[in-house]
Amino acid sequence: MDAVHGKPGTHLGEIENPDGVGEHGSIACGDAMRFTFRVKRHPTDPTQDIITEAKYLTFGCTSAIASSEALCGIIEQGEYTPINALKIQNSDIVDFLQGLPEQKIHCSVMGAEALEAAVFNWAQRRGVDLKSLGIDMHDQETEEGRIVCKCFSITEPYLKRKIRELNLRSIPQITNAIKAGGGCTSCHHVPGGLQDILDQVWAGETAAAENPSLVQITPREVKEDSDFSPYQFAKKVEKVIDEYVRPSLKADGGDLELVDIKGTIIYCQLKGACSNCMGASQTLKMMVERILKDQVDERIRVVEV
Amino acid sequence: MTDLMKITYLDNNATTQVAPEVYEAMVPYLTEDYFNPSSMYDPAQRTHDAISAARKKIADALGRVDPKEILFTGCATESNNTAILGTAKANHNRKHIITTAVEHPAVIEVCRELERNGYSVTYLGVDRAGNLDMREFIQALSHNTLLVSIMHANNETGVIFPIEQMSRIAKQTDSAIIFHTDATQTVGKLPIDLVSGFPYVDLLSFSGHKLHAPKGIGALFIRRGTRCRPFMLGGHQEDGRRGGTENVPYIIGLSRALTLAMERREQDESYIEKLRDRLERELVEKIPSVQVNGKEAPRLPNTLNISFHYIEGEGMLFQLSSFGICASSGSACTSGSLEPSHVLRAMKVPFTAVHGSVRFSLSRYNSDEDIDKVLEVFPQIVTNLRNLSPYWDNEKNLPRSDALNLVK
Repeated sequence: MDAVHGKPGTHLGEIENPDGVGEHGSIACGDAMRFTFRVKRHPTDPTQDIITEAKYLTFGCTSAIASSEALCGIIEQGEYTPINALKIQNSDIVDFLQGLPEQKIHCSVMGAEALEAAVFNWAQRRGVDLKSLGIDMHDQETEEGRIVCKCFSITEPYLKRKIRELNLRSIPQITNAIKAGGGCTSCHHVPGGLQDILDQVWAGETAAAENPSLVQITPREVKEDSDFSPYQFAKKVEKVIDEYVRPSLKADGGDLELVDIKGTIIYCQLKGACSNCMGASQTLKMMVERILKDQVDERIRVVEV
Repeated sequence: MTDLMKITYLDNNATTQVAPEVYEAMVPYLTEDYFNPSSMYDPAQRTHDAISAARKKIADALGRVDPKEILFTGCATESNNTAILGTAKANHNRKHIITTAVEHPAVIEVCRELERNGYSVTYLGVDRAGNLDMREFIQALSHNTLLVSIMHANNETGVIFPIEQMSRIAKQTDSAIIFHTDATQTVGKLPIDLVSGFPYVDLLSFSGHKLHAPKGIGALFIRRGTRCRPFMLGGHQEDGRRGGTENVPYIIGLSRALTLAMERREQDESYIEKLRDRLERELVEKIPSVQVNGKEAPRLPNTLNISFHYIEGEGMLFQLSSFGICASSGSACTSGSLEPSHVLRAMKVPFTAVHGSVRFSLSRYNSDEDIDKVLEVFPQIVTNLRNLSPYWDNEKNLPRSDALNLVK
């Protein structure tokens, strides 16, 4: 994090007269990176150039700056030719940083994208025909693709490529990786929107259980290895409420009605003096849930009715 | 005679008159500003900006939600179709819906259609007062539950359901459950704050013509991140969530009507409630064998659903109409389907009273004179019909002692 504090010894900056320069993102999107590198030129074969120095200028959060720093570090250590450098993936940056939070994955993707753009720029300057080497330049996609995510100007071909490359399986994963759909969210479920593109890309493959129930509210949730049947579980909950909860509520002129039990969710209603109390739901959540978790099952949740 | 034939409009849960302020706000967009908001030229940009401003005002009136969460539709029925079918289309892994037995057909019939396509639907019952049972609701929630659709207030009885509580229970049980409410009868009448009051409601439908905007405009609130596919496919309007050229003058009208309703809400509410309570009190005093449906439950301040035992509603409406009084009934003869009100039957209102129900629904444009007129003519209308009724003993002015046997 030396770069953030302006300390020396980082790759912060811009190389004058670079051999390759690439940019990704824009200030409108919230982060942007300018990546430059210098090569040791091979006298006869430009494809044998070796990257010797890399620098970056980054507008963005700390994770974006760290990703940029990591990218430069990886490249300088590895003595890559520009063409080999194309193999560096965002996952290499994540590994180098020993992990990034889910919602910051897009920072590492930005690094990989800027690198790619810089290599394409180098190829142009050095007269290397990347296409003849079998490298896909994706040069058509941003210009000609239909814009799907208007907030971040992300096109359909780009989305499809990134969904495949990064193995993205859900809208939140797309948003975390390339930000698409992270703004107004209106592109999620419209025709031709993110869900449709996901379905198209992964058509034929068995879709991973989409939108799984966050809470399995079936009796199965009661521990299989537990000694309780649902009946015994309910009895136990009632007993604990009678012994530990009711006395203190009754002391305040209130009471608690057990409305229902579904799996490990306990539905309760405060009665009497407690039912008009502003802190009632806090009481339920804090006190009753804690006691039941301690005495019966750690997975118990209390819902006020 | 002319005075008697002046229209006394007491059917505001069916539709309302357009407020003069609303009409005035709409006129420019029916005349000089007729441009398609999607077009490029400057005047079209004006209509586009007018829609944005209207959307913002509606979003503000619903608790300062994001204007992007407001979708304009053609009517509340379209909003309900979009909410229910759109949710089903976007979430294939769940196939269970919970609604109530007393919903408007715009919800019930959509649920029935999904039932025919393999979904299971739980129709929650109501008690005699018209209230739902929270225990029954909790029991119905399952790991397969996709959507809960509960109306905010009932159109026939005005009974208000505890939407805040039910949406919270549903979401705290399983945050993937989507909660929809048909608020057609409450927007503009009750305070609706989707940020602090109803934070667990994902979808909320309403229309313009119940709150003094014209017919032909509705809206759907879709909370950010709710999985819901469009119902009406077409152009890029409404961010691709509802195709079709924006109905500019009506959108402006809806926005004006809602701002007006919210500005005057408290004053209108106490004014209307006083009129309704007087009508209710004096009808009950003047006429024997009546019952007020939904009286024991929380109720909209503008609605009175009252049953007159042993007579038929259509006959009452017919006579009321001859005095220029407009109201409606849950009687089979007025429903077009030969079935009496499903709402009153779900409330176990006896058959002798279901057919004899009349709904009066008031608005800010009603006055004490309207109530006077109903009170003046109504007792005689009931007497006329009871004279005809085979179940009524006119000498004692009571049901015949064998009336209940005759009903069976």
